[in-house]
Amino acid sequence: MIELDQKIAEQLSDVGLNSSMQVRCGTSNSFTVTASILNPLINVFEMGGVYISASRGANEIIEGLESLGIPTGNIQFLDMVSSGILGGTNTEHTNISYIDSPIMLESALLRTMYHFRKKLTERNFVILDSVNALAIYNEERMLAEYLHTFVNTFRQREVLSVIINVPDQTPPGVLANLDLYCTDLIDRGQIVIN
Amino acid sequence: MTINTKFDISREDEQFFGKMGSFGIPKFDKIMNGGVPRGFTILALTDPGAGAELFAKQFLSPCEEPENTMYISTNETSEEIMQVYDKYNWLNELQIISIGSEYNNRVLGKELQASKYRLEGFNMNDIQRLSQTRFVDDETEDFLTEMANTVMDRGPFFRCAVENLDFFFQRYDKSRVISMLRMMQAHTQMARGILLLCVSTDSLDTSIEREMSSIADMVLTFGVHMIGSEFETRMIVRKFRNAPENLSVMTYRVTPEEGITPETVQRIA
Amino acid sequence: MESAAGYVRDRCVTGIHGLDEILRGGIPYGSTVLAAGSCGCGKTTLGLEFLVRGAENGEACAHFTATEPSVKLLDNVRQYDFFDMRMVDKGLINVFDMDVLYSWLGLTKATFDLGDIHALIKAITDIVNTIGVTRLVIDSVTTLCYKIQSEQLIRDFLFTLGKKLSTLGCTTLLISEITSEKSGVNMWSSFGVEEAISDGIIVLGDVERMGHLLRFLQVVKMRGTSHSRAKYAVELTSIGVMLTPMLKWGSSG
Repeated sequence: MIELDQKIAEQLSDVGLNSSMQVRCGTSNSFTVTASILNPLINVFEMGGVYISASRGANEIIEGLESLGIPTGNIQFLDMVSSGILGGTNTEHTNISYIDSPIMLESALLRTMYHFRKKLTERNFVILDSVNALAIYNEERMLAEYLHTFVNTFRQREVLSVIINVPDQTPPGVLANLDLYCTDLIDRGQIVIN
Repeated sequence: MTINTKFDISREDEQFFGKMGSFGIPKFDKIMNGGVPRGFTILALTDPGAGAELFAKQFLSPCEEPENTMYISTNETSEEIMQVYDKYNWLNELQIISIGSEYNNRVLGKELQASKYRLEGFNMNDIQRLSQTRFVDDETEDFLTEMANTVMDRGPFFRCAVENLDFFFQRYDKSRVISMLRMMQAHTQMARGILLLCVSTDSLDTSIEREMSSIADMVLTFGVHMIGSEFETRMIVRKFRNAPENLSVMTYRVTPEEGITPETVQRIA
Repeated sequence: MESAAGYVRDRCVTGIHGLDEILRGGIPYGSTVLAAGSCGCGKTTLGLEFLVRGAENGEACAHFTATEPSVKLLDNVRQYDFFDMRMVDKGLINVFDMDVLYSWLGLTKATFDLGDIHALIKAITDIVNTIGVTRLVIDSVTTLCYKIQSEQLIRDFLFTLGKKLSTLGCTTLLISEITSEKSGVNMWSSFGVEEAISDGIIVLGDVERMGHLLRFLQVVKMRGTSHSRAKYAVELTSIGVMLTPMLKWGSSG
């Protein structure tokens, strides 16, 4: 049974809409951390937004969130994974659109902006899940450039950006850029084993 | 009982129409030993103004079956043609196709309009229509095929005159025109119709004339000659398939009562 | 048909996401701009959105289609949310088939001579002048120029047309089809003359990134204004063309 982290919710209440938040997590708690972020955004702050998933298929994420009581109707998913899997795009969910490959970074940015133009709630967020997944397909320099553009684009548009990464698997140059340009940090990346 | 299954020619029809049809000129029928055999294609080569136009109308005057009798004109309107039939009190229930009028409407009309647009430009109404027109008007302007199809759509024992073929020779490839003539001749033969084709002699070169003459079953020429200070109109039967005895030269007059009336030239030994 | 009333600006604001920023405000009023690209790059969509954004402002717009029939064009464009057929019905966007125009002008020959070209220019400028068109797209000028006999005549045609349309205050987008080889070697005309005559050149094409093709847009030339010369990634969405700067690293072409 997944237990959501309430401290994340408290931290989020101090964050402004033009913030860019770096979220560090470990390999075993990434979904818990993601759900802990989405729960207050959706259920408490009544926000809508875009979830860019390069780590796993959007179907799986939706099912996981719904099972935790987090409604996904106001979230548009950009799935960068399922197009690469045969039959991966067969789904009943209407709030998923597909990007052919995780290398098409500009497409992800543009599609996010497109969705904000089409359907905007009063307050909006964009989640990038995850830097590590993108790092499999994209060179370090390009990824660093992309994240810089990403952060600045949404900060200018007063959209809260949430960038998820597993720090010990993130290239150092990229991690350094995230540290430099993100305004806030949620760190659940260190797992303490007793 | 049906004899010719392709055209459903019954014995009754064959008895009614007989082996020969009239030229529409009783004296000429007599000179030609009874008339024109069913299935014949007649080629009339004419000097301008020699009377072939009138001959073509008179040729259709027997009008045995009005719905199967057709006058195809390339330079007269239906009204002008009807006036001639009324003048000579000939049966006027035949079918008339005026290709000339259609050509003027479809082709010349378009060309005139295009010239107007090029010179004067478009006004608001023109622009509105242009922006709402989604297709080019590609209604067929192939009058040659239309004419040939019209003839070949005729049923058994039809009677048809085309006056004249100059229009087609001026606008279409000559070999295409000849091909169409062959098809029409074949159809006329099978359907036991009678087809008259008029053409001006000065619009043809010799080889085409020769080719057309070989296709036709009968060749007539109409000419105008100066004799002293008077004109003489002359008709010559130059070819009559399987009846060379019918070859002859005759002068003719045009009378209000009978139209064209031939007079034979006889040599007295 | 409604004509634009009181439309006076020094820039034709395209209304296309990102493009006006690239052009520092829009296309200088009355310019003739070449939108050159290989197939599938979004030239037609760009042209249509250019007109739609103008029509939304009450401008009278005209689209001359030479490459595909207007019936097919309008059918294809209906899928876009930014396009409203009522703009066509109300006469804000006037769509003309070049084939129909050729037929009306008696331009039935395979190639056009000088007289034919002048007739065509006169017809187009008549339409622009009568309706008060301020935005015009010809799609594609390449298809049109295939019918013109010589390079000199093409040059005369484009120059005269551009000059007359500019005098009438009409900003024109000429869609030009180029092969992907040409777009790589800095040549944006099919006939070698269009790029020299035009006031501006916007290039659309594809870059390859690890086997995938990404659409891009680049403003190569625009007289009368400064502009960005960077490459921008293009997304053709249902609400129109969207642009974002292309990442510098990791792409070829």
